[in-house]
Amino acid sequence: MPTIRLFYEDLENLTGVSIEKIKERLPLMCADVERMEADYMDVEFFPNRPDLFCVEGASRALKQFLDVEPGLVTYVVEKSGIEMVVEASVLEVRPYIVCGVVKNLQLDSSSIESLMLLQEYLHRGIGRNREKVSVGVHDLARVKPPFRYLAADPGFSFIPLDYEEEMTMAEILERHPKGTAFRYILEDKTKYPLILDSEGKTLSFPPIINADQTRVTESTNDIFIEVTGLNENVSAALNIIVYALAERGGQIQSVVLRFPDDRRGAENETPRLEPKTMEISVKDVNSLIGIDLSAEECKKCCERMGLGAEAKPKGMIEVKIPAYRFDILHTWDIIEDIAIGYGYDRIEPEIPGTMVIGEVHPIEDTKRTVREIMTGLGYFEVLTFTLTSERKQFELMRRGRKQGKPFLDQTFSKGLSFDQTFSKFVVNVASPISSEHTMLRCSILPNLLEILSLNKHRDLPQRIFEVGPVLLGFKEEYRLAAVSTHANANFAEVKSMVDAVLKEMGMEDAEVVESEDDAFLAGRRADIIKPLQFFRGGRGSAPTMDGKHIGVFGELHPEVILNFGLDHPVVGFEVDI
Amino acid sequence: MTRKEDIATAELTATEKRVLLALGEEGGEWNQKTLSEKTGINEDAVMQTAFMLAEKGLCEIKEEKKEYYRLTEEGKEYAEKGLPEKRALDFLIERKEATVEKLKNAFQDEKEANIATTWLKKKNWAKIEEKKGRKVYILMGSVSYPDNIIPPDVHLGIDEVILNIVSKGEIERTILRNRVLKEISKVKLKIKVVPGEISGFVTLVGQRKLLTHRAHTERKITLTEAGHEVVSHGISIEEEIAQLTPELIRTGSWRERKFKRYDVNLPSKEAFAAKIHPYQRILDRMRRIFTEMGFTEIKGELVQSAFWNFDALFVPQDHPAREMQDTFYLGMRKRIEASKELIKNVKQMHEHGGSLNSTGWGGEWRSELGEELLLRTHTTAITLGYLASHQEPPVKVFCIDRVYRRETIDATHIPEFDQLEGIVMDKGVTFSNLLGLLATFYKKMGFPSIRFRPGYFPYTEPSVEVEVYMPERGWLELGGAGVFREEVTNPIGLKYPVLAWGLGIGRLAMLSLGLTDIRDLYHSDIDWLRKAQVFR
Repeated sequence: MPTIRLFYEDLENLTGVSIEKIKERLPLMCADVERMEADYMDVEFFPNRPDLFCVEGASRALKQFLDVEPGLVTYVVEKSGIEMVVEASVLEVRPYIVCGVVKNLQLDSSSIESLMLLQEYLHRGIGRNREKVSVGVHDLARVKPPFRYLAADPGFSFIPLDYEEEMTMAEILERHPKGTAFRYILEDKTKYPLILDSEGKTLSFPPIINADQTRVTESTNDIFIEVTGLNENVSAALNIIVYALAERGGQIQSVVLRFPDDRRGAENETPRLEPKTMEISVKDVNSLIGIDLSAEECKKCCERMGLGAEAKPKGMIEVKIPAYRFDILHTWDIIEDIAIGYGYDRIEPEIPGTMVIGEVHPIEDTKRTVREIMTGLGYFEVLTFTLTSERKQFELMRRGRKQGKPFLDQTFSKGLSFDQTFSKFVVNVASPISSEHTMLRCSILPNLLEILSLNKHRDLPQRIFEVGPVLLGFKEEYRLAAVSTHANANFAEVKSMVDAVLKEMGMEDAEVVESEDDAFLAGRRADIIKPLQFFRGGRGSAPTMDGKHIGVFGELHPEVILNFGLDHPVVGFEVDI
Repeated sequence: MTRKEDIATAELTATEKRVLLALGEEGGEWNQKTLSEKTGINEDAVMQTAFMLAEKGLCEIKEEKKEYYRLTEEGKEYAEKGLPEKRALDFLIERKEATVEKLKNAFQDEKEANIATTWLKKKNWAKIEEKKGRKVYILMGSVSYPDNIIPPDVHLGIDEVILNIVSKGEIERTILRNRVLKEISKVKLKIKVVPGEISGFVTLVGQRKLLTHRAHTERKITLTEAGHEVVSHGISIEEEIAQLTPELIRTGSWRERKFKRYDVNLPSKEAFAAKIHPYQRILDRMRRIFTEMGFTEIKGELVQSAFWNFDALFVPQDHPAREMQDTFYLGMRKRIEASKELIKNVKQMHEHGGSLNSTGWGGEWRSELGEELLLRTHTTAITLGYLASHQEPPVKVFCIDRVYRRETIDATHIPEFDQLEGIVMDKGVTFSNLLGLLATFYKKMGFPSIRFRPGYFPYTEPSVEVEVYMPERGWLELGGAGVFREEVTNPIGLKYPVLAWGLGIGRLAMLSLGLTDIRDLYHSDIDWLRKAQVFR
């Protein structure tokens, strides 16, 4: 979301309202006040309201919201007589274009900066980084209409903004900072969009850069605006800009667009600033918000949000939506505006009468029991990330990760020993933030060893546990893992812990067999097996198994201990709960 | 015995009594070591007891800083072989004179030879003269005795005396001084020595790095007036019991014995209760509050399709949050787990608003983008999926679980965190009901002062942001909420409004646990866990 810097002096001049009042009410409009300083504030307006991304738009909205000048703002659009001829070649490259003219402007450095920033915000927001929408503003006095919008060969050259020498469009994409930043948009194109005047002078190379000669300066009086793109939002951008310039005293004029065929109508005239209308019922307003407003009050709330409103028969209201608002898709969007206009601070919070019985999820109940058992045994709970890396999960643990496509279906796990299941179900993320976060954990033990390594300087013994999810394929499985480290940690200690946990969890029937898990020292490791009563042998798996491997425990292998930068014996276990 | 003394002895422990008795013995000079030897109590304990007695005004502890000397490696060598300049002097006495080269050649290395010649000159024992064009050392007058014969024991310098004494073992400075004086008086030294000069010599030898010293504080312990009085009245020692044993209890002998008293204010060894993670306790508290408010907890899959995570929530397919730099995709596609009809409804809703009076987002909705698998970016994917299969009102559910956003890790950002999500779907529920639920939740969490501000979320309308007031930090944004848009509820077939909220828990947890770095929640410092109070 863009942050707009609003100077108090500007605001007071444009709205005629004291800054204290503005400070108090602005957070209840459509804005997050990021910071307030002695003479300005930084405000983040919501991303669906690009019409507020400049001091002109924000002041207009404030004047309406604070009852200074409520209601719909409309401007007369005169004809400029200027034409833009759209050539067939460009329809395959960047098909949408709308244009407009604003005359008789008195610009200074700050209003030019505001215009440039607004353009940038539009590019980033509804423009989706210029791909969908890009805007060019030009000093009309420097060029000669009619204009042409066409697709040209990359070899065409002109002097781009902020440069002194001619460059071809290909060179601009190669070398100009804007070219390198946005060339991906034209990656698969053989011809590039171009806007020329009647004498062949360049206005712009959308969506990359303008020509230097049409630069808007403090001596510019008349501005020509072209907005090109891939969808209808080009109109949104144009309307927002002409409204902002009109707030500065400019006169809006239209441009005639001529298209080569009927695909989008042969002729069009922009900008089109007639308000859209929508009808809402007062009843819907009251039942959605939970208040009791009359039609007249609804109308007032609409006007505070810059909407036009007129009461109609049968409790209906006709709402007129100004041409710079593009966030209103549905009647509820208007109802929200009415709620904001009414004031969120005036809506009485009320508990609903909905009566049902609440319940904790069974797995959370189990986890709570596990925590009780483990703290009772003297273990501290830790919480760790589930995002981790193959290095920690497999390499440091001496556990193998088999190459090849992972099994994403857990039914394949039958017949695999506990640690074997890990390697088969790894879920990787496609664009990790670092080499430390490439996959979701399939075992918790490595995370606990990592915590021990972070606490090497702390007193021993250290006993910690975590109860949480691991991801096997796309399925979550909940596990309890625990480690204990001190000079005398050994198999006997962990075995008695595991016995206690299994007993408390009601899993006394679990069997213990020697394990092959290389994370542990041979002869000091064991798998926990839960007998399956009706096991018939899974498809493609060894039918000799008579139970499911649900856990492992033992003395961690000295190499694993060293791999995690530790030097005391560590024992641990991990079990499916 | 006076009453006062009576009290004093009654309060003495057996150890104190033993130390007191030792101190009362005639002629002893008592320090840590001698007292320990006398009483058989180890040095640390004796000292501790002495301090206790001092506190009671029965003895006095005087601290004295003492310096102890011993030889360096070089010093040991010279103590054995003689100082280099002394050896040079002997060489000269034997030969009367010697050329510079010859003298130097008499030493094993250049360094030693240089030391020898430097100190020969410094001590005025010899000087260099030109003789027949050669430089020769000749003896100075001060060591020219009649017949040029000097008995070897006579011209021992004080420095050599010091070396000899210290070579027998580490020695304290005043003792060293007295010994030196005694030695000097034994030999007929030609130079007269004032006792005070000894110190200067010691320093000199130290500067030549032949001696090294260490400082040590010695505590001298003497009885005070009051102490003498107590001792003079006689003290009887009865052994006190430190540990009550089964033996003492069974035999009943505990009745006759005296128990050692504990100082109840002395610090003891720290013990820590093993505990649930403080952050988990906050999660559990939230869980309890929602169940108290009649909500049922639900769970769902961590891996979701973009369809359930975004599309069904009416997030446009070109929304920035859906991009690779914000969301963890798995780089895999899977058939969307939804009916054909639902997928069609969602498609139409995006493209033109479906059967609603809505414009939709326009453009083409592509189902393959909905098939992309990802790590859920919010638990709303779970609550919405639940609504799709529970369409009859009322529904009141919540979900507390891990969500994933592609954030680079720093003090305020982490790629996975917990979210609390809740929904109410019922006939006639309103936006003001949503505010009522949120106000109740925060009040139960300990934030009585909250306010509601407009907010923006792509899938709710009206939307609201909740802020709580913290006395020292002002208004803090803690969560977002709203009524699900009809564009969200209509395609899955819901007929009634859905109130929904999603609260970030990490920030709230940091505030209540006093953390400034959110990573500390997940990289637990064991000492922090040990010391974190359960009750707060």
